[in-house]
Amino acid sequence: MIARWHLWVGGILLVAVVAAALYFPALRKRVDSAAQLTEKTAEQARRELLPAAAPSSGETMTKVKMFWGSNAGDGTLTPVTIELPLAKDPVLRARQVINTLLAGPVNPDARTLPPEAALLAFYILPDGTGIADFSEAMATSIPSGIQSEQRAVDSIARTLEADVPQVTRLKILIHGQEVDTLAGHIDLTQTFRVNTKAGTMAPLAAASSSVPVPAVPANKAAAVVAKDPASSTVKR
Amino acid sequence: MPAPHPVGLNIVVLDPAHGGTDLGARGTEGIHESDVVLQFTAAIRRALEAQGLQVLTTRDGNENPSFDDRSARANAQRGAIFITLHIGSTGLAGTARVYVVPEIPPSTADMTGLIPWDRAQGPFQELSRKLGDSVQVEFAKRFKGSPSTVQVAPVRQLRTTAAPAIAVEISSVSVAERAELDRMIPGVAESIARGVVAFRPTYVIPSFPTPAGVGQP
Repeated sequence: MIARWHLWVGGILLVAVVAAALYFPALRKRVDSAAQLTEKTAEQARRELLPAAAPSSGETMTKVKMFWGSNAGDGTLTPVTIELPLAKDPVLRARQVINTLLAGPVNPDARTLPPEAALLAFYILPDGTGIADFSEAMATSIPSGIQSEQRAVDSIARTLEADVPQVTRLKILIHGQEVDTLAGHIDLTQTFRVNTKAGTMAPLAAASSSVPVPAVPANKAAAVVAKDPASSTVKR
Repeated sequence: MPAPHPVGLNIVVLDPAHGGTDLGARGTEGIHESDVVLQFTAAIRRALEAQGLQVLTTRDGNENPSFDDRSARANAQRGAIFITLHIGSTGLAGTARVYVVPEIPPSTADMTGLIPWDRAQGPFQELSRKLGDSVQVEFAKRFKGSPSTVQVAPVRQLRTTAAPAIAVEISSVSVAERAELDRMIPGVAESIARGVVAFRPTYVIPSFPTPAGVGQP
């Protein structure tokens, strides 16, 4: 014989199931619409947090030179003068001009940096080295190649040289990390000279990380050059 | 400073870039840099061997050796030169460029006769530039729009190579059809072979200063 309370519990459960069945489609609709609203990528969100040039008090419209790609298609850069409400603080100023580079020129063919990339941070060390930390898209979305990667680095360095004279060297990080190359070609383990009087970026060697090893007389050098990754040296 | 060792060019190490899961530059027509450079390498190898030169490659199939492993292939030889081959994503279609690394400042370790691995290219930069100019001149003759002189860029692969080393980049994977790149293969191979042959007499392995009191017999 079924107890009376069993009937009550069974009834309550039945009501709950029916109520859930009625409510479920409405809940699903609400979740779907919420998902659409939050479909922005992390990159987009970051870029919204870091506007190209947000005018604020203390900023005046200033003429700046942006180095974008030339129409020649040969990897060279062309300075384009534009007006921006530029901050006086060199760090803010550097962020503004790099974000403007990322936003890109009117002609998309002259773009030097991938539109998906975002500048996550920029700071200047006491020795004048500017550290630019980009999102992963900087490495994954840039057209792969020596010329295209070199053009990207040059455009940042030359724009900083023109508009932020306090920056003397440039170090590029990807998502806070030092990486071997930008996209398989250009060496990012070193710093780039921002003062480009000679026209081409020259990376300055970082302090050697090699472990000192006993000297080998040059006139008795081994005939075969051998790699010793452990000591990070080439033995001659 | 001791006199340079008069050792000539013995071996050419060809490095088809990328490979494995690293496809390199990718074109809209399904062109993959890692694939195309193998074809260029095969033709360049034949052109160099026809000139009596010995050729080694860093890969022959779809492997992807590390930067250091590729450099080690040349660093293990005496009298080698190193040529890394790339197909870019940009640049005027049908052109070819040669790159060498910017100046690498000498370190105190160089005085010991041991070169730090991460700046192995340092003592060879002048030779690299000569080799680069020799090849670039040939490219300029054959491929209209190519620069007449060698370009400078901090190409990662070159920095750890203890030999005259250049990077060659062909434009580009963005051509309308693969045949456009294929048509460049004989000209690129011939240009590199001619450039290497022109460079050959100037190749003398640089010597390194010996610290006082060290290594004297």
